Amino acid sequence: MRVSQQAKASTRKRILDSARVLFVREGFEHATTRHIAREARIAAGTLFNYFPTKEAIAAALVGEALDAAQEDFERRRRRCSLEEDLFAQVAAGLRRLKPFRRFLRPVLQSTPHPAGVADNEAAAIRGEQMERVRRLLAEHGIEPESPLTLQLYWTLYVGVLGFWTADRSPKQEDTLALLDQSLAMFAAWLRETARPESQRSHN
Amino acid sequence: MANVADLLHAVPTDADEPGLAGETRLRELFARLSLRPVPTGTWRRFWRLGGLHAQIGLAYTMHWLRGWFQGAERKQRDLAATRLNAAFRLLETMGYLRGAIMKVGQTLANFPDFLPEEFVATLERLHFLAPPMHFALVREFLHNELGGDPEDVFASFETEAFAAASLGQVHRARLKTGELVAVKVQYPGIARTIRADVRGLVTLLWPLRLSRDWDSVKARIEYIHRTLELETDYRNEARLQERVRSLFREDDGIVVPRVFQEYSTHRVLTMEYLAGRHVHDYLAAGPTQDKRNRFAAKLVRSWYRLFYAARLHHPDFHPGNFIFMDDGRLGLIDFGCVLELEDEDWELMGKSDRPLTTGRRDERLAFLKEWLDLPSDAPEDDRLSLCDRYAEACWKPRTAAGEFDFGDEQEFRRAFDLFIEMLRKRYTRGRPLDAFISRWDFGSRSMLYRLQARVDVRAIAEQEIAATGWDRSDYATLSN
Repeated sequence: MRVSQQAKASTRKRILDSARVLFVREGFEHATTRHIAREARIAAGTLFNYFPTKEAIAAALVGEALDAAQEDFERRRRRCSLEEDLFAQVAAGLRRLKPFRRFLRPVLQSTPHPAGVADNEAAAIRGEQMERVRRLLAEHGIEPESPLTLQLYWTLYVGVLGFWTADRSPKQEDTLALLDQSLAMFAAWLRETARPESQRSHN
Repeated sequence: MANVADLLHAVPTDADEPGLAGETRLRELFARLSLRPVPTGTWRRFWRLGGLHAQIGLAYTMHWLRGWFQGAERKQRDLAATRLNAAFRLLETMGYLRGAIMKVGQTLANFPDFLPEEFVATLERLHFLAPPMHFALVREFLHNELGGDPEDVFASFETEAFAAASLGQVHRARLKTGELVAVKVQYPGIARTIRADVRGLVTLLWPLRLSRDWDSVKARIEYIHRTLELETDYRNEARLQERVRSLFREDDGIVVPRVFQEYSTHRVLTMEYLAGRHVHDYLAAGPTQDKRNRFAAKLVRSWYRLFYAARLHHPDFHPGNFIFMDDGRLGLIDFGCVLELEDEDWELMGKSDRPLTTGRRDERLAFLKEWLDLPSDAPEDDRLSLCDRYAEACWKPRTAAGEFDFGDEQEFRRAFDLFIEMLRKRYTRGRPLDAFISRWDFGSRSMLYRLQARVDVRAIAEQEIAATGWDRSDYATLSN
């Protein structure tokens, strides 16, 4: 029997909803794919038709959160500097990711390097985020000369997320400071590289 | 004391940077800072301070070695150059670390008796370099602190800050109940890191360790550490602000903004917005002598009210902390630095009232001996004599009968010059509270000098003391 696209989407949604509940309630380490399948009322084998690993489920949840965050960001957006725009985009993501903060680290570990091989879900997240940043930079008149720019951003972004997952400061305020200062540095670097070679600082 | 511009013109250049004037060097230094990574952990910050300590130590050692074969005049020039280079390195590190260490830098700039004057003049630059927060950062911080976006929590919220605060910035907003408010927002993470950074401060001041006053300097750093910790807690500031607010009545013409506790946390302080001008803009409008005198009298009264009615010392007579309102009222804002005097300090400061009231030199000397922890029969040496002349100059507005002319430049300079002489002779040993008293002395005298005001300080002091019911009958009639 052929499973309709609608049924597939429904099952996928049930898996993700169940995983979201279990990851938060049991913790990422203790929530197994078997638990998730049972909670979603599907056979364990069926789950693997949708997600090859538990990390892939987590990555899909992160991807959904970042999609919602992008909508939040676009809705609240105002005319501002590049630094502020970049900050607002990442900060919107942190807000949406907050329920998943504890299990974000395994997802990050599955995307160790911008050019590395990762599972489909994680690769899709990276691709989508880098595309969003490319569009944002373009809106500020910056067309990255080389892929290095976006890869540098991705490294910085993953670094901030990693810091955030382990941030024990009250309300993770250190992450805000780190993000602010890192993006200021990134924006300054972008502007520097956007200038003609003859006008660049060589300190 | 030379001003920053003088120093920048005189700044020596490094051998590897031939021909660079000081101003250019400073500007380039800050341009470079924006491209640097920011250390976030305590260990990395400390490592950075450690490296700095080594650099300053090296600079001093080089000076010492060169001093063997240089004449006295040249040596003095070289010392200034060495110190200034060290100050640049200090500034670079502080700018690099930003945040917490910047607060330390600003605080040190207010305590000129700690450091060679070149350090102080250079550190003064930090007053203008507090890192601004863009609105996206402010929004996230307020969301975390108040549980909602500023656009949702407030009826309206101005995205641009209208004033800088030493640890953050201030935004205008309107509550949903209609009140116009000022929302002070602290830079995230700055409060906790101060503790770690002040720990490194003793190391930072290592070049001064051979001074005979080193123990006193260390004690003062510890005192500053305690007060800085309180200053970073806006809940504490809100409590002090409410306490001070209760000290003034409507007919005083002195107003302290109400705190909105439900919109305040340890890191956010929301208070009634006071419309008015700071001293610079107020004076630009050319107010009459009478109006300036009245504002000046309120400035003076505010300090005495806090002191005598509540045992509080407000050392921070910074122009940004006073609002000259169009209706003639004086607004007091920013109570982060207000000190609640401990019993020992309160009792000792209370003893100064007698020489202040009588104006007699023998009583002033007796008080100074106690303040300086000298035996009562100690002979009057150069140090005591100089301290006495300094105290006499500082206290003159209070001891003078009738109006004191704060616009008298000679009087203004006299206290300042005596203070510099004390620094030069390294008579810096004293009580931890000294630094806060000096800060008030110079802050208040500078404000009143700018106002070119004439105030009967003595009459105000007498009124404020009388209101406390303090029995001074044994000496109050001895006044000159």
